[in-house]
Amino acid sequence: MLRLTTVSALAMAIAMPAAAAEFRWAGTTDPQTMDPHAVNSAPVLGFLNNVYEGLVRRGKDMAIEPALATSWEPIGDGEGWRFTLREGVTFHDGSAFTAEDVIFSYQRASSEEADTSSWFAPVSDVKMVDDFTVDVLTNAPNPIFPDSIANWMIMDSGWAAANGAERPAKDAENHATLNTNGTAAFKLVERQPGLKTVLEPFDGWWGTPEHNVTRAEFTPIQNPATAVAALLSGDVDMINPVPIQDAGRMAAAGNAKVIQGIEARVIMLGFPHQADELKYTSDAGKPNPFKDVRVRQAVAHAVNVPAILQTIMRGNAEPASQLVSPAMRGYSESLSRRPDFDPDKARALLAEAGYGDGFSFGLKCPNDRYLNDEAVCQAVTGMLAQVGITAELDAMPVQNYWPELREDNYDMYLLGWSPGTFDAEHPIRFLATTPNEEKKLGSWNFGDFSNERVDTLLPLMQSEIDDAKRQAYIDEATKILQDEVAYVPLYVQPLVWGTGANIELTQRPDNFFILRWVTVN
Amino acid sequence: MIAYVIRRVFQSFVVLLVVGLVAFSMFRFVGDPIDNMLGQERTQADVERLRTTLGLDQPFPVQYAKFLANAAQGNFGVSYRQGRPVATIISERAPATLELALVSGTLALVVGIGLGVFTAIRRNGVASNVIMTTSLIGVSLPTFLIGILLIYVFSVSLGWLPSFGRGETTQIGGWSTGFLTASGLKALILPSITLGLYQMTLIMRLVRSEMLEVLRQDYIRFARARGLRERSVNFRHALKNTMVPVITVVGLQLGAIIAFAIITETVFQWPGVGLLFINAIQFVDIPVMAAYLMLISVMFVGINLIVDLLYFAIDPRLRIDGRHA
Repeated sequence: MLRLTTVSALAMAIAMPAAAAEFRWAGTTDPQTMDPHAVNSAPVLGFLNNVYEGLVRRGKDMAIEPALATSWEPIGDGEGWRFTLREGVTFHDGSAFTAEDVIFSYQRASSEEADTSSWFAPVSDVKMVDDFTVDVLTNAPNPIFPDSIANWMIMDSGWAAANGAERPAKDAENHATLNTNGTAAFKLVERQPGLKTVLEPFDGWWGTPEHNVTRAEFTPIQNPATAVAALLSGDVDMINPVPIQDAGRMAAAGNAKVIQGIEARVIMLGFPHQADELKYTSDAGKPNPFKDVRVRQAVAHAVNVPAILQTIMRGNAEPASQLVSPAMRGYSESLSRRPDFDPDKARALLAEAGYGDGFSFGLKCPNDRYLNDEAVCQAVTGMLAQVGITAELDAMPVQNYWPELREDNYDMYLLGWSPGTFDAEHPIRFLATTPNEEKKLGSWNFGDFSNERVDTLLPLMQSEIDDAKRQAYIDEATKILQDEVAYVPLYVQPLVWGTGANIELTQRPDNFFILRWVTVN
Repeated sequence: MIAYVIRRVFQSFVVLLVVGLVAFSMFRFVGDPIDNMLGQERTQADVERLRTTLGLDQPFPVQYAKFLANAAQGNFGVSYRQGRPVATIISERAPATLELALVSGTLALVVGIGLGVFTAIRRNGVASNVIMTTSLIGVSLPTFLIGILLIYVFSVSLGWLPSFGRGETTQIGGWSTGFLTASGLKALILPSITLGLYQMTLIMRLVRSEMLEVLRQDYIRFARARGLRERSVNFRHALKNTMVPVITVVGLQLGAIIAFAIITETVFQWPGVGLLFINAIQFVDIPVMAAYLMLISVMFVGINLIVDLLYFAIDPRLRIDGRHA
């Protein structure tokens, strides 16, 4: 590991003009590890996308494009995929990239110790055809497999073996926790967990650099006010995220700009679909009204989403009609209308369902997971009160929140979902399919929503090669979820980054910060 | 004497054990670490397997006993968040906190005593009254507000000082120091003022009132009557006699500076153990939380023990009681 001494730091400061191509950025979370297979979380994968590469990668518009593989094609009748690898690629330490590294990275990323093994659930085997051809065999036809492995990063097999890091370490440290050997445009030169992580461009990168960064330093800054101050005072060049309430003031400051976009995450309300009784407030023990679809429809009509977006999100978010945002593959264009805000209709629906006098229930909500989550829940509580149903809001930190949901301790809850595959199939698999531990289905379907047709449609959309047919399956499932009001999708969460006025960069909807698209002017 | 010491050490030990027990009984209310450790595509089986591996399925007294058994052998476990040994992580972070505490403690002591003496001697002067009034701000404003205020004035508006972090540090053995670089020293200024302001005003007010008390004593009048120089009377005779209570308070406050640097460290993103602890709480990183809490309680119990023993050495009345007890 390289440590900067005073002398070299001063030398750099003197040597570089004001428009230096040194770039410093800050985020709330320090990546937990530098091991690309140990933790499947956005801060880790997002950061390591600058250091490691996969067979495929996502472009500025999220479309899949060639990276370490130059092309890929289905094998036979949906038996798997054949990837042709890029020749002449070297890892940061100079060793050559071959099919062996792909096989090794498959074994490593799909091992029991890895947190990424679920990506390879559909894979039965990975075979080396020759040094630059690899076959990935799947259990069933899998049209979206190349889309689902953009974050599967390839590690050098020789390096891992030489340093005893053949398997990721979860509850211990190994060489790959602090060191890297990838193929991407930047290499890791210094790693001090929680303090700073320094990257420098890799001269031997196979691609053509679009950036002018000579050195990049990442610092975690937890406190949003400190991060904003650091950006305004020029101590960092980019921060993620910018608190929504500070965005306007920051843009007006002159030496900084705000970059806004729409994230892949859809925020929604969830219901207990199987519980017989309400669990909270004075109505605890009474029959669960949310089993009646009319009550769920009433909730959908009672929540004034445009008002929430205008006030709490300050106009930065977009209403959502389904479990994925329009930027995702498989979005159902024909079903893009969300239920209108109509309190009268909501009251009528409640009356029809036999709840004309209203009822009260417990609404669970995280207070540090999504942007302004608690404020959104408070607004929802107020809007529901308008149509006569009283929510008792209980907001808590996210580490207490998931255990509560797992133990069914709620009458209604708030959930955000960002599909890892950027495909509409993802939320259907995790949120809308009948929970099945063995088949790894419905693992985030806390409310146990269950619909036979949706369960049947899932494997169909997973294995259909023909895009039009596949979209028809997704549309059908989406229609059922909308008609049944399995969830009430509220809005797509905004992305708000702040940069110095002299920085050009590209914001990707998955909230990954890609250093090779940064230009310092 | 020996009996007294043994009794106090034994009491300290019991206090430590109780602190640990209370800490461990609280951890499950902090939340579940598993969800932070696994990605969204985890299965229930993964959750259960990890829970068993970490021993989180066991009741907290068992977890506590295991922690104690390992800690007794110097093993504080592996951080859930970083996957690295807790002892390593804490020893990496400790220099930042200790240097900050040292600087702000010295600042509080020097400025606090100086201003305290000044305001006592010039009791009715305009400057004294201004200082006394301003010092109310130090006592009443919350730390994070002072920190943010300083950042906005000196970093954002004036651009003189860095808004966060430690600057460049130099590694000397296992110790990373910010004292040897210009950016490291500049980075120390705002956080140490923020952290030391409360102690500074506390010491100043304490010195002032003690000093006023002493200045009324007969021996001071006598010294003046002897025609001693004013400086000699104020500093050699008066100040010296105010120092006993001041040193006691300062000793205890030094512990407080280290333990409660958490807020200052969060505001300035100062990479010390306080920030580490805040991160650990957010992540439910039980090994780090446990080690930190034990470390802090060892420190406080240790300081209290030393103070008790010092009293015993200084105050003859305690010695007589001790012999009879």
